[in-house]
Parts: sequence; C-alpha cells; structure tokens
Amino acid sequence: MRKGLFLTMAAVLFGSAGLAWSTDGLRVFTAEGARRMEIAREQPQVPGMVLQTMSGDLEKLGNQPDKVTLIEFIYTTCPTICQSSGGEFAHLRDLLVEKDLPVRMMSVSFDPVADTLEALADYGALHEADGQYWTVARPQLPDLTEMLDFFRVTVIPDNWGGYQHNIAVLLINPEGRFSGVFNTDAYKEITEAVERASR
Amino acid sequence: MMEQTYPYKPQAGAVKLTMLLGGVVFLLMMVFGLALRATQGGLFEIDPAIFYQIMTAHGAGMVGSAALTGAAIMWYFVGRYVNLNAAIYWVFLGLFLIGVALILGSIFYGEFGGGWTFLFPLPAISGGAWDVEAAVAFCFGYLFIGVGFLLIYLDMGYRIAINYDGFLGGLGWRFAWSGNQELAPPPTIIAAASVIVFNSIGIVFGAMVLVASIINLLFPSFVVDPLMAKNAIYFFGHVFINATIYMAVVAVYEIIPEYTGKPWKTTRVFALAWVAIVIFVQAVYFHHLLQDAVMPDWALALGQIVSYASGIPLMAVTTFSLCVYVKGSGLKWDLTSSLLVLGVAGWTLGSIPATIDGMVAVNRLMHNTQWVPGHFHTYLLLGEVAMAFGFSAWLVRGKEQGIRSGLERFAFLSYALGGAGFVLVFLWSGASSIPRRWAIHLESWQFQDRIGTFFAAVAILGSLLIVSRYTLRLMRKGEE
Amino acid sequence: MTIVLAAGLFALAAITQIWVAADPVIHVLVQFPLLGLSGYLLGRDRFIPGHWVGPALTLAIFFFLFWMLPRSVDEALANWQMHVVKFITLPLGTGLPLALSWKYLPPVLKGFLKAQCITMFGVLGFLYTHAPVRICNSYLVDDQIRLGYGFFYVACGLSIFWTIPVFTGRQTQVRRALQGTHLS
Repeated sequence: MRKGLFLTMAAVLFGSAGLAWSTDGLRVFTAEGARRMEIAREQPQVPGMVLQTMSGDLEKLGNQPDKVTLIEFIYTTCPTICQSSGGEFAHLRDLLVEKDLPVRMMSVSFDPVADTLEALADYGALHEADGQYWTVARPQLPDLTEMLDFFRVTVIPDNWGGYQHNIAVLLINPEGRFSGVFNTDAYKEITEAVERASR
Repeated sequence: MMEQTYPYKPQAGAVKLTMLLGGVVFLLMMVFGLALRATQGGLFEIDPAIFYQIMTAHGAGMVGSAALTGAAIMWYFVGRYVNLNAAIYWVFLGLFLIGVALILGSIFYGEFGGGWTFLFPLPAISGGAWDVEAAVAFCFGYLFIGVGFLLIYLDMGYRIAINYDGFLGGLGWRFAWSGNQELAPPPTIIAAASVIVFNSIGIVFGAMVLVASIINLLFPSFVVDPLMAKNAIYFFGHVFINATIYMAVVAVYEIIPEYTGKPWKTTRVFALAWVAIVIFVQAVYFHHLLQDAVMPDWALALGQIVSYASGIPLMAVTTFSLCVYVKGSGLKWDLTSSLLVLGVAGWTLGSIPATIDGMVAVNRLMHNTQWVPGHFHTYLLLGEVAMAFGFSAWLVRGKEQGIRSGLERFAFLSYALGGAGFVLVFLWSGASSIPRRWAIHLESWQFQDRIGTFFAAVAILGSLLIVSRYTLRLMRKGEE
Repeated sequence: MTIVLAAGLFALAAITQIWVAADPVIHVLVQFPLLGLSGYLLGRDRFIPGHWVGPALTLAIFFFLFWMLPRSVDEALANWQMHVVKFITLPLGTGLPLALSWKYLPPVLKGFLKAQCITMFGVLGFLYTHAPVRICNSYLVDDQIRLGYGFFYVACGLSIFWTIPVFTGRQTQVRRALQGTHLS
C-alpha cells in the first residue's frame, strides 16, 4: 500500500514535470504560442534576404541599423483577414507616427507569383501605405521557403483558392534580430516593444 | 414508537457536523437577508455595491447550505439501505468548504456582486465594481462544490445500481411498470435515485457554462452565446435548487413513520409521481425564461404547461400520504414532527404562487417583482429549511421524544409565524408591483419593507433558538 | 489473438496517416483512438502487482493530457521525431497502462474518471468551436470547428454509452449470478 502510494506520487511528479516541460510551464498550449516563446528567448539573426518593394526597389530585410522593422505576412488577393489586419496595421502606423517612433513597416506577400508589383501597389494604396514609413513588398521566389521557415509562418491552401496562415506582427530589432511576435491588434504591447527596442 | 431494523448503520458523526455547519450558515445568511430587507425599508444604510455583494452571498449561501443539508439528509438515510463509503463523504465536505471559501473570498475580498446566478455576461462587465479574478474565483468555488456532489452521487448511485438492479430498479421504474411489489425499493431509494439522475444532468450543464464563463473571463475573445448561457444557467439553477427540497423530503419519509407507527410505503402512485419529477423538473426550467421574447414559442408554452404538472403530482402524493398517515395515529407534536410537517406544508403552499408565476400572462407582469422571492422563500424557508431543522432536531433526540417544552413551542411558533408573515409580505409587495433586487426603495414601498423586516427578525429569533438547542444537545451528547 | 487484433488496429492507424495532415478529425478522433485501442487490447488480459496500478493510471492520464494539447497535435505533423513519439506513446503510454490499471480501480474512481473525460471533451468542443484564432497552425479554421463538433459528439456518445448500463443494471445481474447472492 505504502509502496503503491510512493510510486504513484513519483509518477504524478514525473507526469507533471513532463506536462510542464511540454507547455513551457503551463504557458504555451499551441504551436503558435511555442513559436512566440522560442523567438522571444532565442532572438535569431535574420538571414540577409532581399525583398522587392512595391515601387520596384530592392531592399535587404531587417537592414535598418537605426530603427525597428515590423513585418506582417499577407497575400493581396486575400478577401478576409489580410484586409482587416491591413486596417489594423494602418492603425498601428498612425499610433507609432503619433509617438514619433522611428519604424520601418512592411507588409510582405508570401505569394510572390500572384502578387505582381501592381497588386502590391494597389494593396498599399488601399491602406495608405506611403512607401517610406510603411511599404508593401515581396520576396524573391527562391528565398520564399527559407523565409517562411525562418519566421515560422505556416501557410496552407484553403478550399477557396486562397490561403490560411498564422497572421501576426513580427518585430526585427535594430541589431537585425527577430525578437517578437504579436497579435495584429495588440497595439499597446507592440508600441511598448518598439519603444524598448529603439532605446 | 416503531422500531425497525435496517441493513446498514448511517454515518451519524459526519452528518451531525454537516447539520451544525448548515444551521450556522443558515442563521448567518438570514441575518444578511434581514440586513437587505432593513436597508430597503430605510431602517439601515448600506452602500448599494455592498448591498449587491450581500445579496450575492445570501443567494449563494442559502442555495449552498440548502444543498449541503439536503445532501446530508439523503446520505444519512440512503446509508440505512446500502453500504456507503465514509471517506467519500469527507472529501465531499472538504471540497464543499474549499468552494465556500472561494465564494466568500470572491464576494467580500474581491467585491463580486453579480448574483448567485452569475448570469453571463454580468460577471465580465462589472463596470469596475469587481475584478475579473473575483468572478473567476466565484465560478471556481461553484466548480469545487459541483465536483463534491459528483463524488457522493457516484458512490450512492453505484451502490443503488448494484443493490436495486440498476437505476431502472432504484428509480422504481421497474416496479411502476410491472406493479410487482417485490421490485419496490424503499421511498428513500426512489427519491435518492431520482435526485441523482436529474441533479447530475443539471450539474453537468452548470459545469459546462461555468467553464465557458471562466474561459470567457480570462480570454474575452472566446465569446459565449448569451441566450445559450442563460438557458444552461437556469436549467442548472432550477434543477439544483429543486433538488435540495427533493433530497430533504427523504427526512419526512424516514422520520414520520417513527411517530405514526406505520412505515412509509412505496405505492405505484408514489413511484409514478417520482417518474414525473425526474422528467418534468428538467422540462419546466423554461418558465424562468418567459421574459425572453427570443425564446421559441414552444419552449415558453412548455414552461407554462409543465409548471402545472411538475411538482404537483409528488406534492399531492406526499401531502395526501402524510395526512393519511398522521390522521388517527396519535402523532405527538414535538419539535421534530412539527418542523417536518411544516416543511411539507411550506413546500406545498409555496408551489401555488410558483405555479401562478409560471403562467406567461402573469409572469410578464410579476417576474421582476417581489412575488418571485415570495414564492421561493415559501418553499425554501418554510419547506427545505424547516425539513433540515426538523431532521437536526431528530438527530439529537433524547428519550423524551414526543414531548415539546414551552421554549421549544415558542421557538417553533416564532419560526413558523415569522416565516409565514415574512413570505406573505413578499407576495403582497409583489402584488403591489414592488420590484425585486433593488437596493434603494421608494418611500411608498417602505411600509411593507418594514413589516417584512419585522417578521424576518421574528423568524430569525426562532431559528436562533432551534440552532442553539441543536448545538447544545450535540455538545452534551458528545460529553456522554 | 488479441495481439493480432492489436497489430491490426495499429496497422489501420498507420494507414490513416495518409489523411491526417489534411483532416484533424481523422488525426485526433480516428488515428489517436485507434492507436490507444491497440495498446489497450495488449493490456486487457495482463495483470500487474497492486503497487503498479497507481503509477500506470497516472502515466496513462498524463500521456492522454499531453496528446490533447493542440501543440502536440501540430508538432506531430511538423517533425518526424514527434511522429515516432506519437506511434509509441499512444499505444504504450496511454492504452496499455490504462488497460493494466483499469480493472483494479474502485468503481467511484472509475465513474469519476469517466465524468472527467466527458467534461473534458465538452470543454474541448467549446474551445475548438469558439476559438477566435486558429489553434493548430496546420489546420484550417473550418476543420478546427469540425473537430470541435466532433468532440461534442464524442462527449454525447460516451455519456450515453456509459450511463445505459447503469440504468439497466445488466452488469449487476451478471455479478450476482457470479457471486450467487441476492442482495435486496
């Protein structure tokens, strides 16, 4: 009886430890949560990929030694969530400009084949992205897989010719490290993180 | 006096302690209620925020102690027929007390005042009156109590299923179907099996809406459908509060025969009445939603029709049987028998205003008046609580059973008449359109509030004497 | 015979691997139970000393909880190590120890675990149908909601499946026949 109790207690401890470990201390229950946690901890260096902005210029990703870069992955033919998150990104821009924070904002398409420069420019015009503070861009096709892997963006085709993807605002600090993932409407958290990183 | 032997011995110690706890909490909650009535009557001043905290505590505390005492009565008498596990009862009591601590903490430390029904989305939108954490603690308190009930129901249910050939046997359905007297379980077993069935279903719905509410409180982006939540909450609340009386009435079935000398027999009509209860007590909850115009018409019609059919068969059977058993038996009126008979009377009479309020046309006018507290105080204060007090008095009975002292007579009359006056004032106030749940009353309503306060004080005096008598006798018995 | 059956279920689970990436319902409500069941069959006729009952049950519960985490479901698709872990721990970490310990458990504990299991499926159903975000990055929102309804149906099915014997009492008749006693 006592032996059984002892073994059971041991098993409970062992199991709790395992469960705590697999949820990062009961904080992370989803893969998305795990991704955010790991990024905040490891802050990996962003590989030097080149993007093409909506004006046709080439720009190295995260190469902004004096400011924070905020990225959001989208595709312009998206009928639903990218449009509303585009609106949220615009609202975020207004807030950051109001606080006079130096930031480079980019909406990056993960569908560079369908999203022509014209499509990117239309998306930018719709959300009043000026190309300076906020621009819309697309990666080179060969870089796409590595880029999605690096930012842990999962894109799966839905059954309507579009995609579902884990949408979020991604933060690259002035040192070129990927150091934050936020919900698109978490304005307060993002603003605070930008303030901290720009200091 | 009739002596009868039973297969097993109930766990008297744990139940006696429970009845003491229940009695003390009843008293405290009555004082809370008195404070609320006195405030409405302008005799006393409480900040409205605190008024609603006290109201929440009064509601949750009364429902909780009614459920606790009911469960103790049922556990005690079911323990005569089947072999119950005492450890489970202690776990139940422990979980119950953890739940009570969480609820009291959430109310008086966290300032939660959202009512015992925690109706979605009120706990989440307090307008700054209380924090989310307080509402979450309140919901967790209920969950702990729910788990406790689950455990004792499982133990009783398992034993009943084993000994009475499944629940169809224990519920008396096999007997009701066949009429074979050999298959007839004792009344206590029928009542217990029925309560276990419908109250478990009620608690399941309660648990679901509680968990959904907790998730919504912590992560507001998980939106709960308010109408669905209201249905689940009132289904749970209705079933749970009704179960308290159906658990307590077991005391009548088991104790009255000691006075009349005739055992309470399971007849086919009795079994059929409990069949009706199991079904109707669940189907009738719609009568709490008669004000919700978005509910489908059939649901509201069902709520009204089943209101007639729900409690009435059983009350008719119980009251009629009680009259038959008592008549000509030479029943001696001591504190126990008076309180138990009062309990049945209060339960039966309380159903009259309840059924009236269950009619759509009446409910439109009366639902938010004091008519409603009037009816439920009738069958709770004069029904469940009277039965619980009667059972407690019986637990500490001495050799003088059947005799009533002058003080006991005074205590009983004070409780019964004070209680009756108190509920009648509620009904009268309801009929004169005085709203319920208002912290501040107009001057023209306060005359009635003050009469109500007076009667409440009289009833509390009676309760104080009854609970003190129980406590003293319990201590004296402990010394022997 | 049971080993053959267990192997058969395991093979069936392996075959469903073709569809698991596309459909969470098949993944969680078909493949997972098949794997668990194959392990359960292995342990059904085996017996363990009393002091191993508690640890075995605990192990089964924790692995069960682990596989209910959306993160585990996602990772079982994202990398091959977790694939292997899934095919090992669901049969041998959940089904097998559950079968080994279940026959020794007191009836109230069994009932309690069943009730918790039903409640958990109900809560998962609520979470998956009401989540404002995608819980699994590997699956579409529509599929997530379908999985939520799946959890609801499982909860309903289990509650019916587990309460009917309590009502009919057929089990108790069998037990009485075995014991040769009549209690009432």
